[in-house]
Amino acid sequence: MKIKQFFSKPYRWGVLFGGVLAIFFTYALLDTFVIPKALVSAEQSESYARDNQTATSDPAYGQSEAGQTNSGISQPSDDSAAEPSDQNTESAQSEQAEAVITDTSYSDENISITIETVREYDTTFYVADIEVSDASYLKTAFAQNTYGRNIKETTTDMAAENNSIFAINGDYYGFRDKGYVLRNGVLYRDVSNNAEALMIDSEGNFSIVQEGEISAQSLLDSGAMQILSFGPVLMENGEVMVTADSEVSQSMRSNPRTAIGQISERHYMIIVSDGRTSESAGLSLLELAEQFEKRGCSTAYNLDGGGSSVMYFNGNVINNPSNGRGNREREVSDIVYFGYS
Amino acid sequence: MYTLDIHKAERKKILKTVLVYLILSVLAVVVDNVYALFGHGVRSASMSLMFLYLLLGGALGYFLLWLIAPGVYLSKWYRLGYNLYNSGIAALTVGGFFKGILDIAGTESDYTRMFSILGWGMTAAGLVVLIVSVINCCSKSEQQRGKTI
Repeated sequence: MKIKQFFSKPYRWGVLFGGVLAIFFTYALLDTFVIPKALVSAEQSESYARDNQTATSDPAYGQSEAGQTNSGISQPSDDSAAEPSDQNTESAQSEQAEAVITDTSYSDENISITIETVREYDTTFYVADIEVSDASYLKTAFAQNTYGRNIKETTTDMAAENNSIFAINGDYYGFRDKGYVLRNGVLYRDVSNNAEALMIDSEGNFSIVQEGEISAQSLLDSGAMQILSFGPVLMENGEVMVTADSEVSQSMRSNPRTAIGQISERHYMIIVSDGRTSESAGLSLLELAEQFEKRGCSTAYNLDGGGSSVMYFNGNVINNPSNGRGNREREVSDIVYFGYS
Repeated sequence: MYTLDIHKAERKKILKTVLVYLILSVLAVVVDNVYALFGHGVRSASMSLMFLYLLLGGALGYFLLWLIAPGVYLSKWYRLGYNLYNSGIAALTVGGFFKGILDIAGTESDYTRMFSILGWGMTAAGLVVLIVSVINCCSKSEQQRGKTI
């Protein structure tokens, strides 16, 4: 009765409910965009996957079962799929040779990188031509070396922490709850986004897979080392797959972009464009795809763009990131990089 | 005469609610446009259309209520229905804004469903109570008319 009397006065209910709604709204925003939720350390999960692999291949550890998960982590059930990469990694790390480095190029016995700045479509974009002697030089890394939601770091910081020579932002997996996440041979998320994803196998070859039609675990078992889930697919089998109307979600036509493509075995092309400024409008997806086509790519895939787009080379940011709050790098979940560590 | 003046002032309360909802509808359109300005022109249907909850559910709803049963405020259930219904409209509008922010950022969240459940649930409950108030109000009027005759 007292409660009824209390709420019978005008505005009391409104003020109370308004307050509760405001608190709920603020919490929902913070939980979605800010509050970090670390799910698993990448270092631990990779060493777990390695240990389990040793266990399954060593009769002395005969009781271990490949493919079992620990804290949501999964490794290939067929250990032959990831094994060559580990051997390659070890040999690759010991093979780092003297490098010839300029502002726009890097070259040693194993890795060759050339960056070209291009001005077209009222836009400045940066094209990196990268060749490696072994697929294990192409890697990915998580912010703070941890898989989770809202775990973020700038591309530059992640690249420096991983001693990378060249890096770009990844697919920003931590901003979404769906989409396959498979990195350096370890499966972190097997939840389909019903979109086309980019798979990189242990030989460093790119292929496009339809999430939902095949599970990430199956892809891992068949030899996938990385799965990037963003899109859309720009090129497949040498053909442009986007039209002038294609767009990422709610984005505008012209944007800062990041995309990765493959020309031939262990020969890659990465394009990052500036955008959303008076100096550089940004590229449409079709314009971006045409650049890959012009340069002879067979497969090309669009990654997270906008304020996330960053190209890092030898300690410097090559492009002009635009995150809407001045030309500062946006913190993201992950990077794709080339390097020895 | 004095009673009539009070009734006129009370009846204006519903029209005042209509006016407040109209102002809030305009504000929702302004918020959407300002957000688009800072979001590099990117828009979301959820955010752009959130004003409809206020305009149709709020302003139009209360205007119809005023036309159908101007004396509904006299019902003992009116305040409860009013509070529930307004809270539902508020939750739906805030939910639309929240979904718009997520759409523009390119992500999703289970909280959007919570806003919808809360909003539609309270709106429906409020509507039921308001209908009861209207019926209550109409039957009382009938009874009074019967007594007068």
